[in-house]
Amino acid sequence: MKLAFQLAYKNLVGAGLRTWLNVGVLAFSFIIIIFYNGLIDGWNEQAKHDSIAWEYGNGQLLHADYDPFDPFTILDGHGVLENELSKNLAPILLRQASIYPEGRMFSVALKGIDVNQTTLKLPTASLKNSNAKIPAMMGINMADAANLKKGDEVLLRWRDQGGTFDAAKITVVDIFETNVPTVDMGQVWIPIRKMWEMTGLENHTTFYVANENFQPSNISGWKYQSQETLLSDLNEIIAMKKISGSIMYLLLLAIALLAIFDTQVLSVFRRQKEIGTYISLGMTRAQVVGLFTVEGSMYSIFAMILGSIVGIPLFAYLAKIGIGMPAASRDMGVPLAERIFPVFGIQLIVGTILLVVIASTIVSFLPARKIAKMNPVLALKGKLQ
Amino acid sequence: MKNGSIISIKNVTKRFPVGEGEFTALKNINLEFQSGEFAGLVGPSGSGKTTLLNIIGSLDSPTEGEALVLGKSISKLSHKESALLRNKHIGFIFQVYNLLPVYTVYENVEFALLLQNIPKVQRQKMVMEALDWVGLASMADKKPDKLSGGEGQRVAIARAIVKKPVIVIADEPSANLDAENTYAILKTMRELNKNLGTTFLFSTHDEKVMGHLDRIIHLRDGAVEEDEIINVKTLTK
Ligand SMILES: Nc1ncnc2c1ncn2[C@@H]1O[C@H](COP(=O)(O)OP(=O)(O)OP(=O)(O)O)[C@@H](O)[C@H]1O
Ligand SMILES: [Mg+2]
Repeated sequence: MKLAFQLAYKNLVGAGLRTWLNVGVLAFSFIIIIFYNGLIDGWNEQAKHDSIAWEYGNGQLLHADYDPFDPFTILDGHGVLENELSKNLAPILLRQASIYPEGRMFSVALKGIDVNQTTLKLPTASLKNSNAKIPAMMGINMADAANLKKGDEVLLRWRDQGGTFDAAKITVVDIFETNVPTVDMGQVWIPIRKMWEMTGLENHTTFYVANENFQPSNISGWKYQSQETLLSDLNEIIAMKKISGSIMYLLLLAIALLAIFDTQVLSVFRRQKEIGTYISLGMTRAQVVGLFTVEGSMYSIFAMILGSIVGIPLFAYLAKIGIGMPAASRDMGVPLAERIFPVFGIQLIVGTILLVVIASTIVSFLPARKIAKMNPVLALKGKLQ
Repeated sequence: MKNGSIISIKNVTKRFPVGEGEFTALKNINLEFQSGEFAGLVGPSGSGKTTLLNIIGSLDSPTEGEALVLGKSISKLSHKESALLRNKHIGFIFQVYNLLPVYTVYENVEFALLLQNIPKVQRQKMVMEALDWVGLASMADKKPDKLSGGEGQRVAIARAIVKKPVIVIADEPSANLDAENTYAILKTMRELNKNLGTTFLFSTHDEKVMGHLDRIIHLRDGAVEEDEIINVKTLTK
């Protein structure tokens, strides 16, 4: 086996340009695979981190009648939780409403939030510190869409407890920047106490956001969704992204493997005399098959070395400075930061290496198998078709 | 196996499939070779010289009859056993040298020893000794494409002989060489034959080669026409 490696090494280095072309394509695949997955993993971590920080906290306690995926449940999906149970929970009351900036109508989710909460990154202190009659805040994307600035007043229309419409001016006291579209687009945040007054739903809450000290227990009329459950949608979207992205790099890898396969087929054909010579010198056919297979899989080892030389500094740099995301890709409904810091984990790197080495060994072995059936006499004459 | 007999060909017939039918390349050959012979197969093109040498070298096997080489029946050997036989006991020299192009002269000669797992120090000694025999010790680091035809064939001889095989099979070793180089390699092989007792089996068209052989076996249409013992004791120019 050691001999096969030595010989394969010499043959490859001796083959010159063709070797380096194969190695180059393979190394490129290596880098693309690791880069792409590193980017997605980085995005995944950032998206989870942001979702937790801005929306999910340490899980949510939802009113039993409220279903976040069914807007019709907003109307009745709220209730009052006993005081001592609501420890470590930041209440949010959700109502449907509309605002009328410049006379245009925008349907919004009006969210009342405890201004003293510190569980979420939402800057509720701005609401607390404002003297406005009804202070409100919103994300920058919402503000842009509605063409609202800090200090602007805008008419808000909502239904009270009885279902009758009511209207008042709200004041935009803060516009926050977040990567989490689900607390930004179509959302207007006001103090929950104000909302209780406005709607008559004193002490009512649609859902609570838990902080890290919260201990989930069975509370009748409420359902707890852990952080993991809440993140599972995000995980699914990211897993999908991974799969759709993998098609691209698997194609690239396939091209690289095809190049190796092609080289091997050609090698086995063109190097018949060499094969015959090996056999005449006392190698078994199996040993020659091994030699050619090792030669082919050594492309992947060279590619790994080349990929590391190019990739390690590149990846280290990217992991440090991050990768800018085009603004257009930012309204996918998934938290996406302006810069993503790719994460290149051991698992990803080892997995990729295994994938490439095993795949190139297989495509090297397939053509080399032919050697086992070769007639050494014809091989020496170079007369095999 | 008779005393001293290392190759014994008994009623060997070799047929090749050709299209629908068969072609008989060797017809009922009977031959015996003693250890230390310097013998050649001579005959017109297509007479079966290469076919017979390939069978003796265990690269091919007879269709009928038996070929015993060092007491082993060629047609009964497994791939592994025949590889071992070639690796340890049979050296090949080809018309076109068949040196491995990416290896240096030294590495080409070393190859068979690598397969035998001989330790490095000993390998080095054996390779340099073999290169000395053929007068190419100074070219050890060259690649084959930098060698002349005569030098190339001498490297091939060194490669065949480095493992001190019992038999060296040389299929038209001088076909690509001029008279001077032919003489040089024959002289080398003759010395090895004398000093190491290696049996040499040639095939040749070359009158110059025939003049140096102890024994000439004339083949025609796959049959032995004449088995001529000449017994030249010394090699003269
Ligand atoms: N694999 C094969 N298939 C079919 N015919 C073959 C095969 N090998 C050899 N032959 C035929 O067998 C005959 C003997 O071939 P061989 O190569 O032994 O001749 P040779 O005496 O070595 O000739 P040369 O002097 O040209 O080398 C030839 O007619 C050749 O065409
Ligand atoms: Mg021939």
